[in-house]
Amino acid sequence: MAKDTAATKQATQPFEEFCKETFDFKKAFGKPEALKGYRVLSCTQYILGPSCASYMAELGAEVIKIEAPRRGEAMRHTTPFNEPFLYPLSKWIPERGTGLGFFGANPNEYFISVDFHKPEGQAIVKKLAAKADVMVENYRPGTFDRWGIGYRQLREINPRLVYCWLGGFGGWGPGRVRASYDILGQSQGGNFGMTGKQEFMGGAPAKHTIWLADYWGGMMGAVQILAALYWRDKVSGEGTFTEYSQVHGVTRQLEYALPLYGRHGITRERWGNWDTQFCVHGIIKCGKSSYPQSENPQENEEGYILISAYDDKDFATLCKVAGDGKLAEKYAKHDARVKAKSQMEIYPALEKWAADKSKEQVAAILDKANINNQPVWNAKEVANHPHWQQRGAVQWLDDPTFGDLLHQGPAYKMSHTPPRLKWALKPVGADNEYILGKLAGLSAEEMRKLEEQECI
Amino acid sequence: MATPKVAPWPAIPIAKPDEVYAGLSDQAKDYPLFLESIVRQEHNFEKPEALARLRVLDCSTRMMIGHWCSSMLSELGAEVIQVEPPGGDPQRQNTPFGRREYMFKDKETGEEVGGQFLHEMRNKHSITLNLETEEGRNILKDLAVHADVIIENAPPGQWDSWGIGYRQLREINPRLIYCWVGQRGQWGPAKDKPGVLDPTAQASCGFVHGTGDPKEFGGQPTRSALWMADHVGGTCAAMGILAAVLHRENVSGEGQFVEATSAEAIIRILDYSWAWYSMDGSIRPRYGNWDLAINIYAVNPCKDGYMMVGGGHDRLWYRIWRTVGDEQPAVEEDILGDPHLREVTERLAHDMQVKTYTMLGEWLKDNARSEAERKLAKQQVASGGVLYVNEVAEYPHFKYRGHVAEYESPHYGKILYGTTPFLQHKTPGRLKWLGRPTGYDNEDVYRRLLGFNKDDFKRLKQAKVI
Amino acid sequence: MLLTCPGCKTKNFLDPYPFWNFKGTTRCAGCGKIWRIETAVGACVAGPEAADGKADLLPGFAEKPDYSPITGPGVTRAAPRARKDSVCRPIPIQKNVRGNTVSGRPLKKEDLVGSRPRFIAEGK
Repeated sequence: MAKDTAATKQATQPFEEFCKETFDFKKAFGKPEALKGYRVLSCTQYILGPSCASYMAELGAEVIKIEAPRRGEAMRHTTPFNEPFLYPLSKWIPERGTGLGFFGANPNEYFISVDFHKPEGQAIVKKLAAKADVMVENYRPGTFDRWGIGYRQLREINPRLVYCWLGGFGGWGPGRVRASYDILGQSQGGNFGMTGKQEFMGGAPAKHTIWLADYWGGMMGAVQILAALYWRDKVSGEGTFTEYSQVHGVTRQLEYALPLYGRHGITRERWGNWDTQFCVHGIIKCGKSSYPQSENPQENEEGYILISAYDDKDFATLCKVAGDGKLAEKYAKHDARVKAKSQMEIYPALEKWAADKSKEQVAAILDKANINNQPVWNAKEVANHPHWQQRGAVQWLDDPTFGDLLHQGPAYKMSHTPPRLKWALKPVGADNEYILGKLAGLSAEEMRKLEEQECI
Repeated sequence: MATPKVAPWPAIPIAKPDEVYAGLSDQAKDYPLFLESIVRQEHNFEKPEALARLRVLDCSTRMMIGHWCSSMLSELGAEVIQVEPPGGDPQRQNTPFGRREYMFKDKETGEEVGGQFLHEMRNKHSITLNLETEEGRNILKDLAVHADVIIENAPPGQWDSWGIGYRQLREINPRLIYCWVGQRGQWGPAKDKPGVLDPTAQASCGFVHGTGDPKEFGGQPTRSALWMADHVGGTCAAMGILAAVLHRENVSGEGQFVEATSAEAIIRILDYSWAWYSMDGSIRPRYGNWDLAINIYAVNPCKDGYMMVGGGHDRLWYRIWRTVGDEQPAVEEDILGDPHLREVTERLAHDMQVKTYTMLGEWLKDNARSEAERKLAKQQVASGGVLYVNEVAEYPHFKYRGHVAEYESPHYGKILYGTTPFLQHKTPGRLKWLGRPTGYDNEDVYRRLLGFNKDDFKRLKQAKVI
Repeated sequence: MLLTCPGCKTKNFLDPYPFWNFKGTTRCAGCGKIWRIETAVGACVAGPEAADGKADLLPGFAEKPDYSPITGPGVTRAAPRARKDSVCRPIPIQKNVRGNTVSGRPLKKEDLVGSRPRFIAEGK
């Protein structure tokens, strides 16, 4: 009876209410996990490799992060402006903390410490790999192969293993020896040179503020892994090797730039905050700050807003609202206003109109006129916005080690097997006893000895 | 004005393995050659496809998020059918600055398509269907019976009100995985309005605010040139869809409702913004091409453009200055003698970063990108210049590895494009075709899936349903 | 560009982005003298030449020959800051922005004994 009532309610309630209930992140723990029973080894550092494994940790896989003993991986030692840290770094070094550069790349995982350079460490990895479904690593190409724990060796031990290597330039080709970083991938892959203020306006290329090549690259790695697991479990019973080069990923993202260059020899240049294909569809400055009384310099700045009025009807309305009849007449048709020279006239005119307004004032005027717009929100505005809070895009997390933290939620939602957030991160080697006892069969005495030798 | 002749690509021939690995010992060649033997794209069509058994209906229009998601699946072998309104997805008309001469023309029909849509129309079929009509929606319900995945990005609640939403389609096909994609969401105080496009998502999630030079450098919040949030959101949608497929196959036998937004995909990867704010109220500032948490890790101007140099920890810090010292010994001396730059973490203060990059600039002004890279590489420091798309297209390493390739389309001729990064041993991603005229597959898809005959086609065309 | 003041020898750091192709005046952070310079692609092609009036653009940072820093409003350009009181040193944080306990300050080995959740809950 209860099931029927619930089913009827679901079928007939207003759509928005149905979505709110279906995707309620607070109910996630009552639902199964898509990757229950899968085990992933994360022999990774920085962001590209670790994030890849973390997307599977959100889906319920048991992900084991393996770091260097005592100090852990390099990303733990980076934090914005050197200020915030989460303590302890490890039980051996409690007076140091983990920097926030490490935050967000390794949630929900178990943390063990193993020294890959030592034969005892390599032996442990082999034991873990025998029982794992996925191995993720982003060390220099050939390093794990040299240590006897690469694809060629591990597939003998476990033919079902999906071995995922991620890195900058790949393991073959003339540039294979180059180390890489996220913004190096952005620079060389092509999206860096086209982003930023226009050249003729005195601008320069601008980096995407996030580790785009790394974090998104990790997602691409995860897509490959999920497809490989599906094929293994459904069809072949076999593991595989996947190679993901982060600079290759960036080049994949260039939209029309390569076809345009190949056909017409034209190199796409920077077009700042305007759009090359739609007008009006650009970000303009609003002259007033939204928080003039604030002591935080980030809030004192004037605001910015995206105005999206590219249909002829909407553009006419926008011009009316902005009191600019000349503009409406001259650029009534989209073909006329999307031209480069037209945009150079239109946007400054809009900024003149917005010069005495805050972004909220501009948004209110545009909302009333039914013109699409999006104020440029800063980190505090996003963190506190009811839209993102209700949807669980940002979530207050009761982290078992570090306390009350605001954490990013999973990037997407699922009705039946929602990805979820369990904990933010742990100190180096926090789960040594649990994981090494459970999966490597090490006794307390053996672990004590290995710890002394700094093998773990 | 006549279109100038464009040199064929590649301008410089692609190297052969013998040239690339010349002079290396057998041991040094062993691993890279092993990799080439298992992942080189030449072998793609000898190997099976991971998602060959899945059928996807991509009903999204205008935005990139849905098309990007279905590309991830189509590259890995899924059968993707793009369901477009008669006349085609409006995105086909997108072209830079409205220039029709930049569009690609179908040899047979003369139909034009813009580069943005073309580049993402890979391995996909195209059918037309008018969902504004009741008959069209009934046909969609029939198609849903045969699909594993359906992707749509209609305004929030529209498909539900049309009787083809998740709640309705799951009664018809309980195994269906239904995925809604959009900018900000289909529910919530700031849910999507009709017509929103990226960079709406970029502006709403903190990305735009955090990108570009700080005001103190004369800068402003900056959007990505690309509809980048859609790419990330589409990848997340693909993750959700594949996770749903796994759960269906392993456990439940049922589909589910997946929702992915471009904004939340970016919120997920804005690493420390939220934790930092929660700890002490900090609002993440723009820091241009420098980094808040690592020094040296930045892009700065150089003799012939812009140069990325990276070296966060001590070992690399000293190697960078050693390289600089070869030409500017006074600069290296000053840096080594500075007590404020001795500790790794002390180098993060803004003042120290100003000094660091000003001094590095004294060397970069005399070095072009390739020279700087070569000299730093001698000290094992990772670096590289900012490349523009013409340079990316001709870069030897990328050509050799096939990051960029040319496809000869029977419809559109030769197209230069970015290849799939899904390199794999057993089931690599691959390109089967790039670009597809509107409704090209009506005859095939409607006949084999729904048994349409000649009369059905005629009638529905006249009624403007397909 | 590094502008060592011809007068007082203060090292004025004219940071790359705003000063790479610059024509105008800047002000020595040490002695206040105005200098006219011209740069092209990062290299100094004219000046420094003594000038009068207000500076077009201040240095990003400056220091004396003995490395002691010189900063301040009207002297060097302001630094981007995430808060009013940024210090660029590890700051101990115990209560977060909504008044709850967060483990943001250094610990001792004794602090790790016992259950961690208890330690967090008691706000030690």
